[in-house]
Amino acid sequence: MSDHIVAEVSEIKDGERILVELKGREIGVFYLDGGYYAFANWCAHQGGPWCEGNLTGTFSGKFDRSTLEYRLDWVKEGRILNCPWHGWEYDIKTGICLSRRSVKLPAYPVRVEDGKIIVTL
Amino acid sequence: MSSERSLSLKKSTIIDVDVHLQIKPAEVAEYIEEPYRSIMTKSHIGNPLPDSGWDRSMAGKIERRQVQGPEDIHQKLCEEFHINHPIINAFGKLGKASMTKLAVSLMKGYNDLVLEKYLDGYDHFYGLISVATQDPEAAAEEIYRVGDEKQFVGVFMDNTGPNPPLGDPRYDVVYRAAEDKGLPISYHAYDSGFIVDFPRQNAALETFFSVHVLTHPYAHMLTMTSLFEHGVPEKFPGLKFIFLEGGVTWLPYMMYRLNKIHSIRRFDAPMLKKTPEEYIRDQFYVSTQPIGEPNNQDDMRKIMEVIGYDRMMFSSDYPHFDFDHPEGLEKFLRVNVPAKDRKRVLETNARGVYGI
Repeated sequence: MSDHIVAEVSEIKDGERILVELKGREIGVFYLDGGYYAFANWCAHQGGPWCEGNLTGTFSGKFDRSTLEYRLDWVKEGRILNCPWHGWEYDIKTGICLSRRSVKLPAYPVRVEDGKIIVTL
Repeated sequence: MSSERSLSLKKSTIIDVDVHLQIKPAEVAEYIEEPYRSIMTKSHIGNPLPDSGWDRSMAGKIERRQVQGPEDIHQKLCEEFHINHPIINAFGKLGKASMTKLAVSLMKGYNDLVLEKYLDGYDHFYGLISVATQDPEAAAEEIYRVGDEKQFVGVFMDNTGPNPPLGDPRYDVVYRAAEDKGLPISYHAYDSGFIVDFPRQNAALETFFSVHVLTHPYAHMLTMTSLFEHGVPEKFPGLKFIFLEGGVTWLPYMMYRLNKIHSIRRFDAPMLKKTPEEYIRDQFYVSTQPIGEPNNQDDMRKIMEVIGYDRMMFSSDYPHFDFDHPEGLEKFLRVNVPAKDRKRVLETNARGVYGI
């Protein structure tokens, strides 16, 4: 395990990301709502470059059994990453796949020191 | 992308048997005669072979991928995916052509285009011959016309649309031509015509053999898909769903296809909180009759193990013509599965599900 300075904080705006190569691995570093998240650029499905996908919202379904009313809400705008190959959806803040809750992408610790973003790998 | 992937793939030779082109109307128009050329370029409705309105991109979650020409195929498939030999089909959706003569003209145009633009300059590419099944005689002629081209290695038929369906004797002339030229037939469906064409094709089946083979699994596949589209098993987690008289072997295909498409398009079925397989393995059951009859009985054991002995319940369907006598299944289970699993299929699953 070692620390790697990947960028200055000013280099990643809110809702944006950078791709870096650390120890031969492509890593996506995201900045969202004041938090940093780092993942390998490797989708659990077929190895697609998921960190390069579009950030969107997603549908969340709600059902009331007593009234039989069901509603779809568009939620988490800007927080759901869609793998560009097949659209597997992941929540950036957790790395969890929305269609397969047991699938969680390995995340790397990220911290900020003296205005520098540091990923531990 | 990862060098790990590249190293392992580089060791293999890969032939990709289904590579589609996206040929624009104006592009194929250069290969066809008037007045069909003008139909492709001057039609007031835009593309005379319109696609469906279904949004593949899920409101822009994923970008539309395009293949623009042979160099693009070489770059994206051969270089990036390490495909050594793409087998290309024009994917002309000839069944959508509103006029038979337009379809015949396009058929020749697509084949000439594929030959000139894709096969002539790229020795590692192969192609499939497009045929317009609306005119079987013309399709056969076309196979004789271009069938000796070494890089054409098969015939491509789109099977969403042809009516009557493609086993009808009117197509024998096409099959004879393909056999004469030593070319296999590749069938390919497409989503855009399915909703309209499928009922027409069904109505054109001529025997109860066909109707009966298809009715039960199709109806179950449709029902099961609809249940997942709307999240019914998620809405009613205490409910159990039993599919009668379809046999058991259709279930694994649906389970895994639903998994796959749901993971890609959760956008369309967002009520689900789990994979379809998880719901199926918890809430869904199938009855055994009419039990499929593989020539090798061991194949059925393998499929049943995939399904799980907790999902299946014995049924006879007596007195219908394709009833299963319990002796046959009981004997199969006695020989092939442990006693506790045999008892589940014959008795205890039904006791549990129906509360007997």
